[in-house]
Amino acid sequence: MTRYAGGLPGVAVAREYKYMCSDPGQELIRQDIRDHGLDRIVVAACSPHLHEHTFRQAVALGGLNPYYFHMVNLREHDAWVHTDKAAATEKAMDLVRAAVRRVKWHVPLEPRQVSIQADVLVVGGGIAGIDAALTLANAGKHVYLVEREPTIGGHMAQFDKTFPTLDCAACILTPKMTAVKAHRNITLWTMAEVRQVEGYVGNFSVTVCRKPRYVLEDLCVGCLECIQACVYKQAKVPDAFNLGLGKRKPVYIPFPQAVPQVVVIDPETCIEFKSGKCKKTCVEVCAERHAIDFHQKEEIRTIQVGAIVLATGFEVFDAARIPYYGYGLYPNVYTALEVERLVNASGPTGGEILLRDGRKPATVGIVHCVGSRDEHTNRYCSRVCCMYSLKLAHLIKEKTGAEVYSFYIDVRAPGKAFEEFYNRVAEEGVIFIRGKVADIYPAGNGDGRVILQAEDTLLGMVRKIPVDMVVLSTGLEPRADAAAVRRLFNIGCSSEGFFLERHPKLAPVNTFADGIFMAGCCQGPKDIPDTVAQSGAAAAQALALIDAGVVELEPNTAHVVEDACSGCKTCIPLCPYSAISFVEEKRAYINEILCKGCGTCVAACPSGSIRQNLFEDEEIFDEIEGLLVPA
Amino acid sequence: MSACSVTLETLPQHPEGKEILTCLQCGVCAGACPYGDVMEYPPRRMIAMMRAGMQEKVFTSDSLLSCVACYACMAKCPRGIRLTEILLPLMKEQTLAYLPELPAELQRALQNTLRYGNPMGEPSRKRAAWVKTAGVPIRSFAEDRRPADALWFVECYTSYYPRGQDNSRATARLFHRLGVDYAILGNEEKCAGECGRLTWEPGLFETLMDYNMAVFQKYQFNRVVTSCPHAHNAFKNRYPVLGFNWALEHVTPFLAKRLDGLNALLTRKLPYLVTYHDSCCLGRQNEFYEAPRQLLRAIPGVKLVEMVHNRVNSLCCGGGGGGMWLDTYFKAKGYERLSERRVREAVATGADILAVSCPYEISRFEDALKVLGYDKRMMVRDVTELLAEAMEE
Repeated sequence: MTRYAGGLPGVAVAREYKYMCSDPGQELIRQDIRDHGLDRIVVAACSPHLHEHTFRQAVALGGLNPYYFHMVNLREHDAWVHTDKAAATEKAMDLVRAAVRRVKWHVPLEPRQVSIQADVLVVGGGIAGIDAALTLANAGKHVYLVEREPTIGGHMAQFDKTFPTLDCAACILTPKMTAVKAHRNITLWTMAEVRQVEGYVGNFSVTVCRKPRYVLEDLCVGCLECIQACVYKQAKVPDAFNLGLGKRKPVYIPFPQAVPQVVVIDPETCIEFKSGKCKKTCVEVCAERHAIDFHQKEEIRTIQVGAIVLATGFEVFDAARIPYYGYGLYPNVYTALEVERLVNASGPTGGEILLRDGRKPATVGIVHCVGSRDEHTNRYCSRVCCMYSLKLAHLIKEKTGAEVYSFYIDVRAPGKAFEEFYNRVAEEGVIFIRGKVADIYPAGNGDGRVILQAEDTLLGMVRKIPVDMVVLSTGLEPRADAAAVRRLFNIGCSSEGFFLERHPKLAPVNTFADGIFMAGCCQGPKDIPDTVAQSGAAAAQALALIDAGVVELEPNTAHVVEDACSGCKTCIPLCPYSAISFVEEKRAYINEILCKGCGTCVAACPSGSIRQNLFEDEEIFDEIEGLLVPA
Repeated sequence: MSACSVTLETLPQHPEGKEILTCLQCGVCAGACPYGDVMEYPPRRMIAMMRAGMQEKVFTSDSLLSCVACYACMAKCPRGIRLTEILLPLMKEQTLAYLPELPAELQRALQNTLRYGNPMGEPSRKRAAWVKTAGVPIRSFAEDRRPADALWFVECYTSYYPRGQDNSRATARLFHRLGVDYAILGNEEKCAGECGRLTWEPGLFETLMDYNMAVFQKYQFNRVVTSCPHAHNAFKNRYPVLGFNWALEHVTPFLAKRLDGLNALLTRKLPYLVTYHDSCCLGRQNEFYEAPRQLLRAIPGVKLVEMVHNRVNSLCCGGGGGGMWLDTYFKAKGYERLSERRVREAVATGADILAVSCPYEISRFEDALKVLGYDKRMMVRDVTELLAEAMEE
């Protein structure tokens, strides 16, 4: 390869070096520029994505304009995608030849510098979003925290205790929630969704839709008298926070510590919305404050931010998708999140673990891996279920003294103090059966008990254990609308639908879109400590970006050759970034700050009067010719 | 499908073998297996033994004789290992080779199938005798070789067994009234051989496959419609290597697609409470869960109730994989008859009718009802029989 490259016309020196991106490798380039008076550099090695920047810097340090450099991607374009080594080597030669032909046309360019908006948008108000928002706000940045639900808190607010320390989830979460509300640097918008994202790193323009809650947030003081006064004397609507195990009225507050402490009216069930003929006792009781507004409309706001942190969280696997576990069919089969609410002192049973018929369970079966580690549902391990199953086993045993059976495939307890917790729960007498539950069916004597059937793989026998209550340890899934959110923010997803990190080890909170970071379960299942670690990292990344003050953008923008432009306007509607406008009644103008260098206009221009840096016609044609015509 | 050429020796080189390496040893196969509690080596242990190079121990036990090829393990395997399709039949072949002698009942059924083309040992020239009793004209290709849209592959139990013939007569009447353009093979037809394969008599299966394919080639038709889910299974998964590429349907989903035409014909009210048993091959293997239920609901007066185990979780009647001819053997071993387990669940629904879509089930469930003394409380009817009954002349 090196010999071949050295013989190409115009090549002064060709070298092989194993670690070209290392310091000595870069020094080689600088030395050769000095020794041979080189004026163009081609590196044929790994992905430009990883190292184009490295080599451009090396070239600049050698005294050349960094854009006199071109990189050939021998990794994704060659070595990684072919199995025929000889043919791949030939292809490598072709690619190098093409690069040598192209690079001679390169002209000196300067990166664009753009100033950065100092504000940050955080999407999602679970523990990840809350923590990122607080960190950024404490650093003096103004944060917009956008949450879809009427309150922040996310899934963590629904948990009773947290593993393995058994801290009360609400006790550690609610101070952070109130801190968000009280923080002068945080603008909190609940019942709000991002509708549109425009712009680029450092300068995003984001449109947010705030849905009506029919209660004016500035006026409501959270006295909750309207709930008392509602014409519905009894709460009748299944309450989403308690997963339908409790009831609420059409005017409600999701849970006692909700932030903001503002009620919300559900237009689906409120009589005034349905008939317009309600006595409106809620309005009467709020006469002094006039906080209730049945005519509130949705509100569209556009904000300018420099960075975005996505913390949109997860969804619980729908256990009904595994029909033989009987969820939704047998009343005593619960999901783990439902049991969290039953265990919780502010839950629908006041913290008593009671079955739907009011009985206290004497035997409980916990089924691991529901919707995880399974080709039929989700192939991945949801990472938290083993630990929360141990926690629930402990809490159930503590509160009811029930006999608890835990059916597992493997107990995964790889965290600080996790294994010790497993040990503790085993010591407390929870019975662990190694085997995936194959079938759940009624015991048949009409007492509501069901039989868990599984092979006890360690005993080598099929066991059929009747229990009063089943807890399905459901896995974590991407949000149902994760794909739409991904497109909205123009980031990637991995195959199971979670947002994709830029690098699994070295850029775990970065997305492929510059300036957009992520934290928590939107990136993949994880527990609270890992989530908070990520939200800190995402906040730090956002801070580093913003505090730099300016961002350098690639100079690969398109520009109009003014004399040649006929003013046909073909390019204007084609530009995906709305970077092209029509000026002085006669020609197109490209805003190079908005231009992303996609090349659509260049290709579309009928008169060929749009050109693009680094993709000039000569560069491209010579590259193609170099590729097709052996030297 | 490559599976036909897979043997236990070559298994590790095939993707199916790689699947086996991924086994989690979670035991869901054993938990789901209807004979999981009596099998010495349920699928999980078979895999563990194979991975340890101890498969001979599995072959010398009779574990695999109790595999009724019901697909329950495969449907729930979290690694998607195709146990019932690939591994278990291969293991069963070896087990039978190691067995000093086949259970007599099974031996007889296999010999009969080879000699007469049906497991009962009925003369092959009487295969189409039922046609005269159908009450509607039925065309046989042998007599009239004009092309037809559909070849109706009737199969054995539906040709010879008196209660199976009820299904055939009902199907013929339904086809006639719906104006289906079809013909049968008559006495030229022989068993499709699926149970031969699953009891691993590969020679027998291949003989039948060669024979039937040669007969198919003689005539012109667009699709094969069969009354037997087991034949459907063989045509779908095994015959394609010999060039079987006609459209393929089982009678039940075939009729469900013609529900618009059927609705007008179903005028007689049948005041029955019906529970439907999902056959393993039609249900778990092909996911035809809704078609038979749609048909039953289309009958005026019929009310449908579900058994505890339904659809993907249905309990096998015990007839698959050769189980049809192992009842005596299972009884000698003291195993519970699966058809009895199933019938208890059916009776518990309070239904008057146990509806089925597989010809094996009529005899198996009728026997079980008699043995358990429920034969006055519940009747077994094929879905087609009920549909035909709901058609007024």
